[in-house]
Amino acid sequence: MIRGVRIAAAAAALAGGAVAALPDAALAHGLVGRQDLPIPRWLFAWGAAVVLVVSFVALAVLWPRPRLEEAREKRVLGVPVVLEVLAGVIGVLGFAAVVYAGLAGTQTATANLAPTAIYVVFWIGIPFLSVLFGDVFAPFNPWRAIARGVAWVVGRAARGKLPAPMAYPVWLGRWPAAFGILAFAWVELVYVNRDDPSTLAGLALLYAAVQLVGMSLYGIDTWTRRADAFAVYFELFARLAPLHWRDRALYRRPPLSGAPGLHAVPGTVALLCVMIGTTSFDGFSQGDLWTGTNGIAPTLQERFLDLGFSQETALQITFTVGLVLMVGFVGGLYRLGVAGMGSIGGRHRPGELAQRFAHSLIPIALAYVVAHYFSLLAYQGQAMAALLSDPLGDGADLLGTASATIDYNVISATGIWYVQVGALVLGHAAGLTLAHDRALTVYRRVRDATRSQYWMLAVMVGFTSLGLWLLSASAQS
Amino acid sequence: MPENTPPGGEDPGRGLSGVQRAGIVLGGLAVLLIVFVVLQGADDSGSPSSSSAPQTTATQTATTQTTATEAATTDDSGEDSTTGTTTDDSGSTTGTTTDDSGSGGGGSDGDAESETGTTETQPSAPAVRTIRVVNGRPAGGVRRLEYQRGDRIRFKVQSDVTDEVHVHGYDVSKNVSAGSSVTFSFTANIEGRFEIELENAHTQIAELEVKPS
Repeated sequence: MIRGVRIAAAAAALAGGAVAALPDAALAHGLVGRQDLPIPRWLFAWGAAVVLVVSFVALAVLWPRPRLEEAREKRVLGVPVVLEVLAGVIGVLGFAAVVYAGLAGTQTATANLAPTAIYVVFWIGIPFLSVLFGDVFAPFNPWRAIARGVAWVVGRAARGKLPAPMAYPVWLGRWPAAFGILAFAWVELVYVNRDDPSTLAGLALLYAAVQLVGMSLYGIDTWTRRADAFAVYFELFARLAPLHWRDRALYRRPPLSGAPGLHAVPGTVALLCVMIGTTSFDGFSQGDLWTGTNGIAPTLQERFLDLGFSQETALQITFTVGLVLMVGFVGGLYRLGVAGMGSIGGRHRPGELAQRFAHSLIPIALAYVVAHYFSLLAYQGQAMAALLSDPLGDGADLLGTASATIDYNVISATGIWYVQVGALVLGHAAGLTLAHDRALTVYRRVRDATRSQYWMLAVMVGFTSLGLWLLSASAQS
Repeated sequence: MPENTPPGGEDPGRGLSGVQRAGIVLGGLAVLLIVFVVLQGADDSGSPSSSSAPQTTATQTATTQTTATEAATTDDSGEDSTTGTTTDDSGSTTGTTTDDSGSGGGGSDGDAESETGTTETQPSAPAVRTIRVVNGRPAGGVRRLEYQRGDRIRFKVQSDVTDEVHVHGYDVSKNVSAGSSVTFSFTANIEGRFEIELENAHTQIAELEVKPS
C-alpha cells in the first residue's frame, strides 16, 4: 500500500513514486503469491481461430427446433429434512468461524483464515462447485439458515400468527444483487484495505445483517432468490449444472438446460454485465494500457490528485471509475447486439430481447471466472490446508496440517493457458447454443431466428475476443 | 457469413440440408487445418513451447544489456557506477558472472559453475541485476526480471532502508539493512509472475517472471 510519509521525504521522488506505487495496487490482492503468465501469441491465434470456426459450425449444425427450452428433469433421489438442517448448521458454524478468525486472528492477510476463505473458497470455489453439482450454496447459506431457524422458532411461539411478508417490488428485481456483486468487486479490486481480515469480517457481518433485514421484510425465499447477491450469483451458475436441487429432492437434467428457465426480471442483465465487467476489469487493471507509465490510471490519478485528493483516495477513485466504465462497456456491447437483433423480424423491442437473451450470458460470465481465477483457486486454495489448522495465525495446529505449503507445480503455466483458453471457447459455444435455442422460440421463422443470431454471434465473438485479449501479452505486458 | 436458404422454402423444420451442414463442418475443419499449417510455418521448430524459446532467449540477452545500461544511467545518483559494467559475454559457456560484490555487502554467489551445467545451449545466466531501493522505493519504478524455467535466478537488492526482501511464490526472504545490499541466487523452478517486495513496508520493488522453458 502507499505510504505517503515516505513519499513526502523527497519531493522529486513524488512523481516517480506515484507511478511505481500503481502496480502494487493493481494486483488482484495480496493473497496472490503467483500471477499467471500472459498467454503467448500462438495460443491467442489458436483460440481466436477455434472460436470463429466453432461459431460458423454452430450456425450450421445447431438444431432447428428448441431443445434446451423443453428439456425435462428426472428425479434422482430425495433429500431428508435432517440433511437440510445439518447443512444449515454447518453453514452458520463456518460463517462464524471465518468472522471470528478475521476479528480475533492475526491481521496478516495470508496467515489469517478469513481472506482466503472469502476470496478464494467462497467467491471462486463455490461457482466451480455450482456448475458441476448444482446450487450447493443454498442449503449452506448461513444467513438464510439463521432466518429459517428464527422463523421456525417464532412461528412455533406465535402459533402461525406471523404477519405476511411485504410484496417484493417488481421493479426492484435483481437490482439489489447487481449492486451487491458490484460492491463486493469494488472491495476486492479497488478498496485499499481489501486484505485486512478484521475489515472483511466486519463487512461479512454487515452483509449478513442486511440480508436478515431483507428476508424479514420480504420473506426468506423471495429475498434469497432476488436480492441476496451471493445466493443469486451462485444460483445463476448452478443453472448450467446437470443437477438440480429443489423441493427436497435431486433432479438431473441436460447441462445448460436450467438456464432458459431464468426469469430475466429487472436488474438481471445488469447483474450479468456486472459479473462479466468486474472480472474483465480485474484483468484489464493489470495491463500496461491501464497501469503502465503512460497508462490510463496514472493519468487519471494525476487529475484527482490535482483536485486535492490524497494519493490513496485518488487511486481508489481512479480504479472505481475504471471498474464502472468496464461494466458499462460490457453492457454497451450486449445492448449493441440486441439492438441489431431488434432490426430483424420487426416485432421485438430491444429491451424485451435484452431480457429474453440474458441467460446466454451466464456461460460467458462463467468462462471469464474460470479464465481469470482458475489458477488462484488451484494454488491459493491449497493454503486452506494450513489455514484450517491455524485459522488465527497464532501457531495452532488443529488438524496437523499447519505447516502445509502451496505446491506451485501442481499445474504448469502451459496447463493453465489451456484451461483459460479452453474455458473461453467452451463458454462461447455454450452461450451461442443457448442464444440459438432461445431465438427459435422468439422468432417464428427459422430464417429470422438464424439471421438474428448473426448479431448474437457478433456479441459472443466480441466477448470471447475481449476475454482472450485480456489474457494475452498485449494486454498484460 | 453463410446465408441460409433452406431448400424447403419456409419449412420450419429444417434450415439446411444435411449436405450443406456437412459442407460447413468440413469448411470449418479446413480453416483449422490452414491455421495449423500457417502457425506451424511461422515458427520453424513446430512445437509451440520450444518455438518461442530462441526468440525469448535473444530478447532476454538483449534486455540484459539494456537493463545493465539502464542501471548505469539511473544509478547516477548513487555512489557506485560499477553496477553498470556487469555485462556478460553471452557466447562463452564459462558463465562469467562479473558481480560487483565490492560495492555492497555479502555477495554470496559461489555457484557460478553449477549454472553452466543447467543451461548448455543458451547463454549462461545473465549478470546479477541490481534492484536499487531509494527512499524505500524502487529507483526507476518496478522492473521485471525475466527468466526461463531452469535458469539460475540471481539478483541483488541495494537498499537505503532496513527491511525484509521477500520473493513471493518461491517464498525466499532475506533481511537487508539500510545502506547495504543482499544477493539472491536460486533456481527458477516455478513458472509464473511473482512479486518481489519489501515485506514490512508492503512495497513491491520488482517483478520476477519465469516462463516455461
